[in-house]
Amino acid sequence: MSNKSVWEVEKGEVRKAGVTHIVIAALLIGIGAVVGAFGSLSFPLGFGVNFFWTGIAVQNVGAIWFGMWGVIAAALFPIISNGIAGTPVYISLAYIPANAVQALLPAWGFRYFKADPSLRTGRDYLILLATITISNIFGALYSPLVVLKGFGLLTAESVPLFIWGWFGGNEVAGIILNIILLKALSSVVVRTKAFVKGWWA
Amino acid sequence: MNKTILGYVPEESPIYRTHPFVRVFFLLVVSLFPMCIAAPEWNFILVILVILLMRYSRIDLATLRFYVPVSMSMGSIILISYILVSGHHPEFIQLASLGPIRIYFERIRDAIVVYLRVLPMIFITVFFLSTSRERDIIVAMRSIRVPFVITYLTAMALRAAGMVMEDFSIVRQAEQARGYDPVGKPIAYKLKQWVMYMVPLFALSLRRADEFSNALVARGYNFTGVLKAPKRADYVLTHYRFHASDAAIIILLSGALVALMVLRYRYGYFTLEGSLTSALLHRWLLR
Repeated sequence: MSNKSVWEVEKGEVRKAGVTHIVIAALLIGIGAVVGAFGSLSFPLGFGVNFFWTGIAVQNVGAIWFGMWGVIAAALFPIISNGIAGTPVYISLAYIPANAVQALLPAWGFRYFKADPSLRTGRDYLILLATITISNIFGALYSPLVVLKGFGLLTAESVPLFIWGWFGGNEVAGIILNIILLKALSSVVVRTKAFVKGWWA
Repeated sequence: MNKTILGYVPEESPIYRTHPFVRVFFLLVVSLFPMCIAAPEWNFILVILVILLMRYSRIDLATLRFYVPVSMSMGSIILISYILVSGHHPEFIQLASLGPIRIYFERIRDAIVVYLRVLPMIFITVFFLSTSRERDIIVAMRSIRVPFVITYLTAMALRAAGMVMEDFSIVRQAEQARGYDPVGKPIAYKLKQWVMYMVPLFALSLRRADEFSNALVARGYNFTGVLKAPKRADYVLTHYRFHASDAAIIILLSGALVALMVLRYRYGYFTLEGSLTSALLHRWLLR
């Protein structure tokens, strides 16, 4: 399957957001809630920041495959997973922009540069790496500097620990899990009616 | 017994005399209390009150054991953040120094303030998750007329979390049956387990998505008019009545929040200055 055929709508093909996409968003929230909570409990740094956050794979891969439905799920599931892992609800709500960007950027990168989600070429890997790194940098700067400092939970001196904790925890988990998930499942997902070629359908 | 998000609570628990919306309201409003309070003793009292409320609601307090490591890890992080990585501050009172690490009185006090600000928020979240069923959250949302599609998405997401949890347990048992044992193994080995869990979990969910959507389409579900949906019969709402006591609790909680904010920001109550904890710390550490 060529890169073009993955993202480009065929002549006569009608794509509409429907029940399947709402179901996919719900299931991604479900997977993210469980995987994110276990990740948070296994490798905690504190306040929802972890050394190896498995939930990042659901955010990145979900948005690459399912567009805005994956982004919606990515923004919402940490509220549940962080709640189960003991993070106060208002801190989880304040993380929404970081979580949304972490999903949005890889989704945009793959669509804009027409990268293949099955990661067939070095270029596909490069786009994955670049988008998840930039989005993780945003998350790592926003969450400790805006949220945790805003809530008065960190001192200025300890902010770097959380910035590196967030970035490292997401980056390492993201690289390992995203590559495996995209390589293993993309060829199946792109053939399903739930796969989103644009942003919503 | 009612199966809640975090465990089981007896059907006869007094908490179920309140409307589900009241519990959501409690989570959202009472979680704001610690943010308005700087004096640690008041936040500690709030923790005690929430624990008493848990006992009154007949929640198995063993659930809290699950959160002991979370609280400890959060405490350690605050300790590291405030005391060990406290930087150089000539304006603070230095109590001791461990090599390059300077320990300041103000940092110890601030660490206690922050920890006792976070702790009640955790307990409130645990209380909410321990008493709420999936259905309660849906009822609360429908009670305030949240659009059907959003409520339905939430309902499916909560249900999906339960299903993924079951799948997760099956996958874990399957891995264990194949000889996978992370006990006493290095962290790299433990990380590998997540790779082994994620692929089957995603694959199972993708298959479920097809089954789910086919079932919904077959039943004639339609999500057109996302925010302005046609009027629907809310069967589940007929099981719940909003009593005068529910209204009284909501008024009481709202009034408490307003009073707290006025007392804190207009009259300077609940601040660190003049707090009992601050005075005791001052006496113990600076005498």
